[in-house]
Parts: sequence; structure tokens; C-alpha cells
Amino acid sequence: MTSKNTSKSTAENTSEKVAPLLQIVDLHVSVEDKEILKGVNLTINAGEIHAIMGRNGSGKSTLSYALMGHPRYKVTSGKMLYKGQEVGEMSPDQRAKLGMALAFQYPVAIPGVSVSNFLRKTVNAVRGRDIPVKEFRLELKALMAKLGVKDEFLSRYVNDGFSGGEKKRLEILQLSMLKPLLAILDETDSGLDIDALKTVSEGINVMAQADTAVLLITHYQRMLNYVQPQFVHVFQDGKIVASGGKELALELEDRGYEWVTQESVDESASAQAKANSSSAAATPVGAK
Amino acid sequence: MAESKLANTIAKERVADLAQRNGEPTWLKDARLAAWEIYLQSPMPTARDDDWRKTEIDNIDLSTFITTDPLTNKAAKAPTMELVQSAIEKLGEPAGIFVDDYSVSQSQFSSVNTDLAKQGVIFMPLIEAIEKHPELVKKIFEQGTASSDDDKFTLMNKALFNSGLLLYVPKNVVIEAPFVSAVNLPVGKTNHAVFPRVFVATEANSQVTLVSIFSDASDNTDVNGTTLSNSIFEITVGAGAKVTVMTVDKLSKQVFAVNRVRTHLHRDGVLNLTTAGLGGKQIKSVIETVMVEQGASSDIRGVVLGDGSEHYSYNTIQKHTCPDTTSNINFRVALKDTSSSVYQGIVVVDKIAQRTAAFQSNKNLLLGTEARADSIPRLEILADDVKCSHGATVGPVDKEQLFYLNCRGLNLKEAEELIVRGFFVQILDGIEIKGAADWVGDLVAEKIYK
Repeated sequence: MTSKNTSKSTAENTSEKVAPLLQIVDLHVSVEDKEILKGVNLTINAGEIHAIMGRNGSGKSTLSYALMGHPRYKVTSGKMLYKGQEVGEMSPDQRAKLGMALAFQYPVAIPGVSVSNFLRKTVNAVRGRDIPVKEFRLELKALMAKLGVKDEFLSRYVNDGFSGGEKKRLEILQLSMLKPLLAILDETDSGLDIDALKTVSEGINVMAQADTAVLLITHYQRMLNYVQPQFVHVFQDGKIVASGGKELALELEDRGYEWVTQESVDESASAQAKANSSSAAATPVGAK
Repeated sequence: MAESKLANTIAKERVADLAQRNGEPTWLKDARLAAWEIYLQSPMPTARDDDWRKTEIDNIDLSTFITTDPLTNKAAKAPTMELVQSAIEKLGEPAGIFVDDYSVSQSQFSSVNTDLAKQGVIFMPLIEAIEKHPELVKKIFEQGTASSDDDKFTLMNKALFNSGLLLYVPKNVVIEAPFVSAVNLPVGKTNHAVFPRVFVATEANSQVTLVSIFSDASDNTDVNGTTLSNSIFEITVGAGAKVTVMTVDKLSKQVFAVNRVRTHLHRDGVLNLTTAGLGGKQIKSVIETVMVEQGASSDIRGVVLGDGSEHYSYNTIQKHTCPDTTSNINFRVALKDTSSSVYQGIVVVDKIAQRTAAFQSNKNLLLGTEARADSIPRLEILADDVKCSHGATVGPVDKEQLFYLNCRGLNLKEAEELIVRGFFVQILDGIEIKGAADWVGDLVAEKIYK
């Protein structure tokens, strides 16, 4: 039941030389000298949807911050390989330009900066070119319609006085515009009512269909009714203790995290060993 | 330029001579001499005085300054000034233009829309207004006669003012387009002193906008003279009138500016005043708003962006002397490098000034690790039915904001620029001059990127 993530994408099947989109190897991360991540192993290939589930405080959000390079989160050992390239030393904006993006659990307000100005600046920065205003508008309007975002949204200050649902919609709108290859969604479902959850999920699905790999970090199973992951991982005390298909999420819903915790006590050692060997195998090019 | 030196004690002859050469009426000459008398008795402020806290005034030797004579050379068209061009581009065709160019063309220019002139609107150099409209000028002057409340620099201006302008708007005249005035200060190898005095006088139910620019043409190379710009702005808001003023100080590291802004608001008068400090060796501004009649309402905004070793010092005074008036002050300061600022704000509510609403906010962003901002708010409230609040914050740019923007592909510098611009936009968005938020926003961005 609890097997480690050993997924292989179609890309890999056709070409052995292509590195996975993201490969995390024995990642240890500390915040203010307190170790939060204690050996995370995870491989994500292009276009895959992965869900990480776990209790509050298990280190899920730390993983998302560490992946994007938050200065407070120090990688003490391990690897974060993006397309085979170590990103641990890169600044967050460099990672963003490579195609990594994070939808924040708590999006930050930038008072005085309008949503439209912000979107234009960030999209131009990530895409590395100035998109003509007309083209930008067209693209934006189409996405806003899909995500049920009203026009007046554009002239408001970024996340300033936004409701929880509005913030999450803006996060998904941003990611949809940025078109990352890897979208890390940190508790994007929290604070959403059912209608917002549906629209936001729809936005995520559209991205996924356009070949964005999704790492969905969540506390509840409910979002997984709308966004169907191929892989589900259970996070516990700073590492992945169990992995499986989407049925694992249902099982968690039924039996709670306790069940995994008990099993993982017995299996974590062997699972860890397996994980290390399998991820090593999944890194065909001693990719540097 | 005249070779008379501005000693710590100005010669009486100098004051009299100035009045003489301008062909000024006796009352004005007397007013100058009266100011000069009090000036002699006033102590030179020091950085230890509360009002001048941390402003290094002590090391300025007034005896080394040469007072600059009024410009008499009239230009046929407005001398080219980058800031005036960019202002007009963003604000649209002005109702009138005034330029005192001490630096490049050494000439003066002023013009006013002819329709407005027909309606009795006056917009011209003060010296010219004294000659052409002596009675009106006398009436306006009487509101600002020298008193012992004036500090040394104010008195110095009142004795020696040699430039500036008059903007007068008669009853019921409503002007949408802004007036633009600009002073290009003299900078050079020697120390100069200029004393602009500006009057904005509005009658009942009128409406007017003035954008005032102070700049200089220093290229910052091989010149080490200091220029003292000692200005007074006196603004009278008539009953039911609406006055919008924006002052922009964009000066080089050679200029030490001392500005005093005094405003009087009559019944139901509305003042919207924005001051932008975007450069200067030291800028010291005292902005006083006095609500003298019921229903008056003032809204003061400050936008200050320092870099290098610039020092800014702003004192705001909100005086409520009658019931049912409102004043609002919102000052925002961002400091790069080792620049510094002191903001001191005081709200004074007299005993009879019931139902006063007075608010004061001062936020400071420290962009340089060695930048320093002090904020000293004060309340003196004698009435018991009032709504007053004040608040101040000092701190660096929020790290979570930076990370959020970094994650969206902006590097640290780009992220900081966006945050600082946003910090000011919140203030600028409230300016009721079309295009002004954009214009000042660009000037701010230019300095952040520098």
C-alpha cells in the first residue's frame, strides 16, 4: 500500500536522458536552527499532479518555501534538482524564471500596487520579455472570465483588503498567467467556499492540462475531489512517510493520519531505503 | 549678481536698498525693516532646538552667502526645464506658467491664460505684482506681518525676499487646469542665497491648483558652493474655496532649503496640499495649517525619498481655532543609503474648537541599513469633544513582501522599487491633480532606480 514515489513520465519512457522536472533528494531544511524537514525524497515529472497531505505542523509549507528559496529556510543537506539543475543556491526570482511558481497559503498584500500593474511586471519578468499591452490584456481577460474574477479586481491593490477567497483566486490567476512548469500550491483550498473551490480547481486543471506539473499541498482531502492527483504522499514530521495513488487520499480520509503514522513506524526505515535507491535510479544522467 | 554679503547680521542698508530698487511702497519697506529688527534679536537656531532637531544648521556660515538679486531679464518664452516639461506632459496644458531661472538663462518668465486674466486672475512675479496691484498686495501682506513667532529664517525672508510670485483668484472663479511655477536655483563655486516668497490668495467659492517646482542645474562636478533657498508660501483659502497645491523639491546635494508654508482656511474652505521632497543636501520645511473658520478642511500629504547623505526635516502644525473643522496629515518617508529624516507633527485644538477631527500619520521605510528616521507626534488638545489620532511607524521593507515578489520573478531591487512606489502611490492617489500621481510616481521611481 505505502510505496514510495517511483513515477516515470512518458517523457522519460521515450528518452532515458531527460531528467525529472523536480527531484528532491534527502532534503533537510532548518528554520532558525530548528530542523523542520528531515530527509524529503520526491520526484515529479513534467505534467504530473502530486498531492502532499499531512497534519498542520508536519512541514508541508516548509517544503514549499524551501523549494522557492525563502531566505529564512536554510537547506542544511540534500538536493533540490529542477530539470537536473541544483536550485538550492538560486534566488527565488531565478527559480521563478526557470518555471517554478508558488501559490501562497497566505498571499502577501502589496498596498499601492494595482493588480494589473503587478501582473504585467511579474509576467514580463518571468517570461523575460515585454508583452505588448493588447496581447497581455486579451490573455488576462480570458483567464479572468474562466476564474470568475471581476474587472474591478485589476485596479485594486494586490491582496490589500482581499477576502480569503479573493486572495486564492488571485494566486491561481497569477500562476495561470505565469505558466510555470512546476506549480506548488500551498493550501490553496483553505478558506475557500465550495463555489470558489470549484473555480480555483478548474483553474488548476487547466494549467495541468497545459502540461504544468502540480504539487498540491493540502490538509484536507476535499480539493482532491476536483483536482485528481496521480500521486499522493503523506507528510509526517518533516518527511514523506507514505506514497500511493489517489486512493491513498481516500484511505486517509477514512482512517485518519494516525493509521499512516503507525504503519510508517514499521516501514519508514525500509521505505526510506527504497526511496533513496529508486530516486537514484530515476536520475539517469548523473545530472548536474 | 550683487556682491553684498549676507552676514549673520544683515546690513540695514541692504534691506532698504532692496526696497528702493524694487520701487516698493513705504509700507512694504517698513515691513521689511520691521522683520529685520526682529531678525537681529532672534537667535540662530541650532540642531539642539526642538524644531531644528538633527538639522545641521550650525555649520552654515551665513556670512559666506551672497544674496542673489531679483531677476530682471524677461524671457520671451519659458526657459527649458526638464521638470517643467515632464510636469506639463502629465498634467496637461497649464493655466499659467512662471519660471525663475537663476541657473541657466538668468531670466524670468510668466504667462497666464488671457481669459483668466480678464476674469481678474493674477499670476505674476511678486515684485511685479507689488508695482501693478499695490492695494491688493498690501491687503494680502497684512495677513502675514512679521511677528516674534517667526524664526530667524522666516524673518530673513521677510526682510530680504527678492523673488517669488502672486497667484490671486477672485470670487467664484473656478480654474481646472493647474498653474505651474518653477525656480531653477543658482548653484556654483560660491554660496548663494535666494529668498522666494509665494502668495496664493483665493476669494470666496473659487477653485485653483498650483504646482510649484524647486530644482537646480547642478551637475555635481567641481562645484562645492552651497545654495540656501529660503522660501515662504502663504496660502489663503477663501470661504467655500478649494485650493490644491503641490510643491516638489528636487534639489542637488548643493542646496540647503528652508521652507515655511502657512495656510489659513476660511469657512468651508478646502485645502489639498502635497509636498514631495526628492532631493537636497538638507530640506527643512515647516507646514502650518490653521483652520480659522467653521467647516474648513485640510488634507496634507508628504512624500519624501532620500538617498546619499540627504537630510529631511518636516514640522507639521495643524491648528484648530474654531469648531467643526477637519485636518488630516499623511507623511510617508523612504530613506536609502545613509539619508535621514525627522518628522515632527503637532495637532493643536483650542478650547472652543469642539467637534474637531484631526488625524496624523507618519510612516517611514528604511531602505538603507544606515538610514535613520525619527518621528515625533504631539497632541495639544484643549477641547473635549474631538476625534484625534496619530500614528507612526519606522522600519525596513517587509521581508515577506520581498519574498512574495521574488517568487514572481522580480529581483530584490525590482521588488523593492515596486514596494516603495506602492508605499507612495497610496498617498499620491489622493492628490486631486489629474496626472500628478503619475508624474511624481515617475520622479520617485527614477530616484529609487538611481
